[in-house]
Amino acid sequence: MPSATSTKEIELVVEHTGGGGGGGSLPPAGGSGGGDGGGGKKPGKGQPPSKRYFTGMVVGIISILMFFMALASAFLVRKGTSGDWVPVRIPMLLWINTAVLLISSGTLELARKRLAKGDGAGFKTYWLLTTALGVGFLIGQVVAWRQLAQQGIYLATNPANSFFYIFTGAHAVHLIGGIAALGYVARRNFSEANVTRSVAAEVTSYYWHFLDALWLFLLALLYLGK
Amino acid sequence: MVSYDDGANSHPSRQAGFLSRALFSTHHKTIGLQYMWLALASVLVGMVLSALLRMHTSWPDTAIPFLAGIENAPEKYAAMRLLHGSLMVFFVLTAAPQMGFGNFLLPLQIGAREMAFPVLNRLSFWMTFASLAGMTSAFFLRPDSGVNVWLASASVFCLAGLFGALNFVTTTIESRAPGMSLPRMPVTVWAWFINAILSMLIFSVLLAGCCAVLSDRLLGSEFFSTTAFLANQPQNLVKQGSLPILWQRLFWYFAQAEVYVAMLPCFGFTTHLVATFSRKPVWRERLVVLALCGVGVVGFCVWGYHMFATGMNPYAPLVFAVLASSLGVPAAFLLASWLGTLWNARLRLTTSMLFAIGFISLFVAGGLSGLFLARHDLAKASVSEDFVIGHFHLVMGVAATFAILGALFFWFPKMFGCCLNETLGKVHFWMTFAGVYAIFMPMHWLGLLTQSHLFADEQRIALASAGASIRTFVTVATIWTVSAQGVFVFNFFYSLLARNKVEQDNPWAATTLEWSVASPAPEDNFGSSAPAVYRGAYEFLAEGGKDFAPQHLSPEQLTQERQ
Repeated sequence: MPSATSTKEIELVVEHTGGGGGGGSLPPAGGSGGGDGGGGKKPGKGQPPSKRYFTGMVVGIISILMFFMALASAFLVRKGTSGDWVPVRIPMLLWINTAVLLISSGTLELARKRLAKGDGAGFKTYWLLTTALGVGFLIGQVVAWRQLAQQGIYLATNPANSFFYIFTGAHAVHLIGGIAALGYVARRNFSEANVTRSVAAEVTSYYWHFLDALWLFLLALLYLGK
Repeated sequence: MVSYDDGANSHPSRQAGFLSRALFSTHHKTIGLQYMWLALASVLVGMVLSALLRMHTSWPDTAIPFLAGIENAPEKYAAMRLLHGSLMVFFVLTAAPQMGFGNFLLPLQIGAREMAFPVLNRLSFWMTFASLAGMTSAFFLRPDSGVNVWLASASVFCLAGLFGALNFVTTTIESRAPGMSLPRMPVTVWAWFINAILSMLIFSVLLAGCCAVLSDRLLGSEFFSTTAFLANQPQNLVKQGSLPILWQRLFWYFAQAEVYVAMLPCFGFTTHLVATFSRKPVWRERLVVLALCGVGVVGFCVWGYHMFATGMNPYAPLVFAVLASSLGVPAAFLLASWLGTLWNARLRLTTSMLFAIGFISLFVAGGLSGLFLARHDLAKASVSEDFVIGHFHLVMGVAATFAILGALFFWFPKMFGCCLNETLGKVHFWMTFAGVYAIFMPMHWLGLLTQSHLFADEQRIALASAGASIRTFVTVATIWTVSAQGVFVFNFFYSLLARNKVEQDNPWAATTLEWSVASPAPEDNFGSSAPAVYRGAYEFLAEGGKDFAPQHLSPEQLTQERQ
């Protein structure tokens, strides 16, 4: 019985029930609004199979955001209720690290522009530069932790320190994932994959820019939450 | 050609050995069934634990396995309760309806070949398994290291839940068959979808909480103020260095969120079963979907507000009141829809339907006692342990189990190609139904009677002796109910081994897509092309001939079938 449904009929149905959907030959653009769609969206024909990676990434980002929001709320509540709070003086190095991370977002976009133009070598250069800047940021963070430790600021010495280390640490863990993704996109052979390199690069760029913005938020929280 | 099979999710070739398929297969049906086995093992162990705990409460002098010498070690008793709670809540109530049934049925019900990210799905299963192993081993360790292992396992469970939720949300958004618009999705799919969004938000917060508490315990960080916590605890326990209360608090912290995660798919099952066996469309289907969204939104807001207001402090006192009342409005909508569907229907009282109706009954009974807890002044008088335990076991534990059993009887042919025995199933249903009421109703009385501060001393002594006999009654009822599950276990394995193949692929005359293929479901679900969907999920037509219109038949095919 299921075999009786031919492609033609399927197309008929899609058009018949298509509501306000895009025309037949146009690939459905956009419309991945996090699950609140009113009910006209259909995974019509010609749907790129890679679309799920974008959706998955957006969903994942929301989830990671909740993780940090929970910690941020704990930060504010704990700060408000404790008398022993000694804020961390943010090391100078952290501002330099921030600049490095911001630049890496820029080079990532430059790399994607090159890829869109078909300039493979240019893409490789900028992509590796982005990866190097990411690694540089991580090394900078480790150096900053060591500087703080030399001043006697450890995880266990004060609740403010605990939060400083968990924010920077958790962000670093997520950034390691980002660097792994950058390396994966650079090295993988996409000739047999079911996504193109540009799709993989775009999905990775979402994550990278998100980590960038997240870092700015955390830094602002630590700086203003003194 | 539609993008039904894009080659992204081809599962391992058939010649792979049994072991490598069992361990590494990324196929959604294999993984779904593995979650079900995990849940079955956990529920049996958890049930035996509950009987042991009850026996210890009633006859403290009798030697009971695992509980010997409990008088000197109250934390052992607390740890055992935690193990019972963890097994039941994490690996039965969360794993079975969402991850078990969901993984097996979601692609089948939306006309997809696979979940969106099959490898992630497999990873998620193994993390759940690791978490089960961790939580069980925590019970055998010393309390201080036990808490650490339990927390680490809970973190792993949260991560597994997040990966699972990511998969469910993406699959539902991206992998639906042509024509499967949102309003045409079965209510079960809606429930899994909303639940996945909710879990995604809740489990991230829980994960953050676990990391922070774990870091406090292992690395000496100070996310939660220990001095403030210890000041509020019984001093003699603080001096001993053993805080059984901590075990319970940690569990409550999770359980509060898990109520919603466990109940949402069960609402979906019940709606689905009631409509199918009433042979009527779901009454006000859109309102039901809205109510499910409401449960999700309200659930997250209440729990989230509580967590954010206390900075996720797991030691903070719990707000049962808001929790209980917040469910009220969407729950009333759901109840109205179930009753509206049942109204004037030609019911088919299969075992599956009996369990669905049993769910409604237990949900109402448990929900009513929730009203007492929702009032702050009443709560003060009545929130004794027994009352709360009776309340949430009826609503969350037993009602959810009934929905799961109903779903199992319903989809068993789809999973294994044979039906569970109906006679044994009905015997099992009535024994369990009587048993759970006999356990949890008296437990409410216990909570109201023996703990009330409103009585004079001599009255209280009289009530206490009455309480003791009620307590024994509850224990006997527990043993009865646990033994009644033997009927189910026998039925399950007997039906599985007897292999009485179902005569029809669609034994219940159901409308949704999973019944358009053979039973058990073929390896590649729908063959080479995606099914097309022509109508909503609950079109049971009143007039003669076949009384239902499956989602996958075109109007022309339907008229042909009629003739």
